[in-house]
Amino acid sequence: MSLFAAAFGFGLVSMSVIALAAVGFTMQFGITNMINLAYGEVMISSAYVAYYINRAGISIWIGMLAGAAFGAVFSFLLNRIVYAPFQRKGTSLLGMVIVSLAVSLMIANLLLPIVSYNSVSYHQSSGGLLRVGGIILTANQIVIIGVAVVVMLGIHGLLTYTRLGKAMRATAANPTLARNCGIPTKRVVDAVWLITGGLCGLAGVVAALNSDSFAIASGAGFLITALAAAVLGGAGQPYGAMIGAVIIGMVTELSAASFSPEYKDVVAFGILVLVMVLRPQGLLAKRGALAAAG
Amino acid sequence: MSTIQARNDLGRAAFSTLAILVLAACGGGSSSSGGGLGSGDLLVGVIAPFTGADAGLGPAYYSACLAAAPSINSNGGVGGRQVKCQQFDTRGEPADAVPAANQMVASHSNLMAAVGCTSDEAATVAPIIDRAHIPMFCMTGQTEFNKTPLKYFHRLVPADIFDAYAMVGSALYGPGHAPYKRAALVFGNDIGSQAFVEPATNAFTKLGGTIAINQPINLTASSFRTEVAAMLQTHPDVIFTEALGAAGTYLGEVKTLNGGKMIPFIGTSATIDPTWFQQVKGAIGVDDLVNNYAGVDLGYSFSGPAYTEFLTNLNAASSQFADAPKYKQRGSTLHLYDGIIMTALAMTAANSSDPKVYNAKIKEIANGVSGAQVVNTYKDGVAALKAGKSIRFVGAGGENNFDQYNNSVSGYIMVKYDAQGNEVKVAQLTPDQTKKISDAGGL
Repeated sequence: MSLFAAAFGFGLVSMSVIALAAVGFTMQFGITNMINLAYGEVMISSAYVAYYINRAGISIWIGMLAGAAFGAVFSFLLNRIVYAPFQRKGTSLLGMVIVSLAVSLMIANLLLPIVSYNSVSYHQSSGGLLRVGGIILTANQIVIIGVAVVVMLGIHGLLTYTRLGKAMRATAANPTLARNCGIPTKRVVDAVWLITGGLCGLAGVVAALNSDSFAIASGAGFLITALAAAVLGGAGQPYGAMIGAVIIGMVTELSAASFSPEYKDVVAFGILVLVMVLRPQGLLAKRGALAAAG
Repeated sequence: MSTIQARNDLGRAAFSTLAILVLAACGGGSSSSGGGLGSGDLLVGVIAPFTGADAGLGPAYYSACLAAAPSINSNGGVGGRQVKCQQFDTRGEPADAVPAANQMVASHSNLMAAVGCTSDEAATVAPIIDRAHIPMFCMTGQTEFNKTPLKYFHRLVPADIFDAYAMVGSALYGPGHAPYKRAALVFGNDIGSQAFVEPATNAFTKLGGTIAINQPINLTASSFRTEVAAMLQTHPDVIFTEALGAAGTYLGEVKTLNGGKMIPFIGTSATIDPTWFQQVKGAIGVDDLVNNYAGVDLGYSFSGPAYTEFLTNLNAASSQFADAPKYKQRGSTLHLYDGIIMTALAMTAANSSDPKVYNAKIKEIANGVSGAQVVNTYKDGVAALKAGKSIRFVGAGGENNFDQYNNSVSGYIMVKYDAQGNEVKVAQLTPDQTKKISDAGGL
């Protein structure tokens, strides 16, 4: 088999996982102006929700839905109880980053006695191998790619064709003007936290399923990759995050095939640094938050 | 945030945050001086990773302390002083370990010993602990400690070089298979795991083997599919590995990409661990784990009065730490248990809580002097000392023989797991085989 063809196939899986996480993260930022560093911990919490459901003998695909629902509710409550009060008091962007970092640490440490430090795995057969022209994918990985494609199309449809999506874009562009135009921005923000939280939870379960084995420490890794893709694409840009996910997912796998695997993250983050030097606003940011949606 | 400029600023802020996160991810005093054992509680600092990729290590060491403390406390303590245990999390990163070590020695004047200090952080924390004159028992196999000038450093496990040689021995002379000739080296890219690579390569290649591929892997990565595909292309007939935290993911992908068939894999002594067992079992299934795994370990008997007391206390420690009983066959748990008991006995023998005084006694009690009475428990040791006798402590982990650098070395056995995760001895390297490997490896 060609290693590069195989790596390309694996890159498709990686970019799907990253895209699910990055799009939710960047929409959260783009619309609510919140760099939520607890995102990775919400992802791993959702992965554990799916794990416990799966351990009870229920299909992981049901667990995935439960994880998404948990992520949605958890994120919604996180905003309502923690973030929104700080934002109402006028806490600066950097201050909110610190608040979210504190929330991240709190979640991790509250989760530790519940789930312990042990790595766990879902009870789910990988479903056999599909080999096409050197690309090797399992049935689960094909489902992951399919889920990502459906979700990305769904996000596009939401932002382009629905009233809620248009309200989200208006809120992202200028919340005061949107409010004055009669858009219920508070409810829009609630909806954003529910939707992006759902994406976060879904991404957590998908990432854990993709990983064969995961532990509480995995949350930090999930966040860094999602954040990197979001920043690369342009902060607050869902379509940019998709492009960022494609670049980071592909580059990490192809560089692992080309160089020593220990350098794969170095190469991916090197590209990120290079892009940020040449184009600090990210790949798609010039059109404004969520503007690419139409 | 409606202008492009504002968006750029936010982008920069996000990028700065990312940079901080990436960097973060990479990312004393004794009690009293002079004679007398003093008063108040004594503390054993468990300085080890409790979070991060190597988070499975700290609990094994903490369990050792939880088992040792009641052995001492229920037998009068150290001159009446009760022993307590406290965790100091290094996150497995030297940068996090330094403040943890500084905090430990600066904030606790009642520190009697420090245990843990794995290869992840030993190079940075051992000098700090040594400067504070605190005896330490480190679970590092790094070569730099083979002839360490640190007087308070103690090591109850052999250097990694011996672990690596034992793995080579298992590949070449292990039972139930023809000698393996092509090995893939799959070790974490952390300091501790990489220490095995060079000695294993030297010994294996000089004895006729070939290194099919050497893969240092990022322990925090969420998948290794491309790495596994590259490894499979080299067609190894065995994998040498220590990739704590990532083993389940890597080996699970080996099974998937190899059409459901595992390649035999040989782990270091650190893979004799309940956390590792659970992780790999979850990823490849218990049958494939039992049938394809071989490990190397120091030759423990898991019996005798010292082990019995250790096991009793370890089980009782479940009220404080539910996972403690899992470590009943974890070599490092046994050794650190012994180290703490030896330190308490040394304090009693020296009648001093000043480590400058009792540190030297630790070696004396471990190795024994001529005519020393062998004791297996703290209670018996204190009784013998009170009777004016010299003692040699042979603990749950067996005999210790410290050299001039406080390194204690003993022989290896080849092991596997049973379906419940218990260690099962399958063979022992003969002296002749050991010599061949050592000569080839350049000991």
